[in-house]
Amino acid sequence: MSAHSHVDGKLPHEPEKATLEGRNKVLGFWLFLGAETVLFGTLFSAFLALRHQVGDGNPSSQELFELSTTAWATFILLTSSLTSVFAIQAMHTNKVKSMIIWLVVTVLLGLGFLALEVVEFATYVDEGHKFSTSAFSSSFYTLVGFHGAHVLFGVLWISILIAQIFKKGLTVVTAPKIYVAGIYWHFIDVVWVFIFTVVYLMGKVG
Amino acid sequence: MSAEHSAVEEREKHHKHEGPKKHIIAFIFSILLTIIAFAMVAAGEINTTFIYIFLVLMAAIQVFVQMGFWMHMKDRGHAFPIIGILMGVFVVFTIVIMAEYWAWW
Repeated sequence: MSAHSHVDGKLPHEPEKATLEGRNKVLGFWLFLGAETVLFGTLFSAFLALRHQVGDGNPSSQELFELSTTAWATFILLTSSLTSVFAIQAMHTNKVKSMIIWLVVTVLLGLGFLALEVVEFATYVDEGHKFSTSAFSSSFYTLVGFHGAHVLFGVLWISILIAQIFKKGLTVVTAPKIYVAGIYWHFIDVVWVFIFTVVYLMGKVG
Repeated sequence: MSAEHSAVEEREKHHKHEGPKKHIIAFIFSILLTIIAFAMVAAGEINTTFIYIFLVLMAAIQVFVQMGFWMHMKDRGHAFPIIGILMGVFVVFTIVIMAEYWAWW
């Protein structure tokens, strides 16, 4: 085994916080999330300021948005947040196999969310809602697309982590990575809560 | 037995008891808040200002639930994460209010 395994061959209860490096990683990641919050905040403010600038003859948010699609996307992403919590809990009880299974489920749900978003965007483009159609469409695609890009990044990141777990096992080095990826995934879910509220539900209201 | 040792024991005991139950409750709560928000919009014909405030409130509650339970912010030793995220939230509010009420009026 590697030099990083615990003295008695057993991982500590919170392996992500067992080393100073792990604790620093978690703290640094929270600072990064503070910056991410600001990033999404600017995109939200641009969208809020421009969402009524539809232009002549272009589809409005009421005409475009389908509540059922958004509801499904929300349900999928919320469920994936829950499955990533299960993965972290499995990690805390040192059940590597079930941790991997939950991570795989999380990735699959993330892919399902992305597939829904791709179909949704394609439908909008067919209805004449392209990136450069109006200020509303540009700010919409920038905000929602940026969130989608974050989901895609999370899917790739967690997939690579799964591969690393297979290679190196769960140690005090790999555990902080899994933990931080879990926090990232929840953050994406929290951003989506604001997107479905501000973009889709408020857009449907008018 | 040292105080430190019993603190470790305490923590380990706490961990054994932390099952998926809390997280499932948080999940159900999130789903319920989402359904309420969607239902309000689907029902339609409700005062726009009221529904805006209502929707933002539903989202805010849900964010508290998710950050508290799923991002472990209610757990001890999360003072720095809370400060970090609050700094971000403060800047976000400034930006959003600026864009909505000053730059465009």
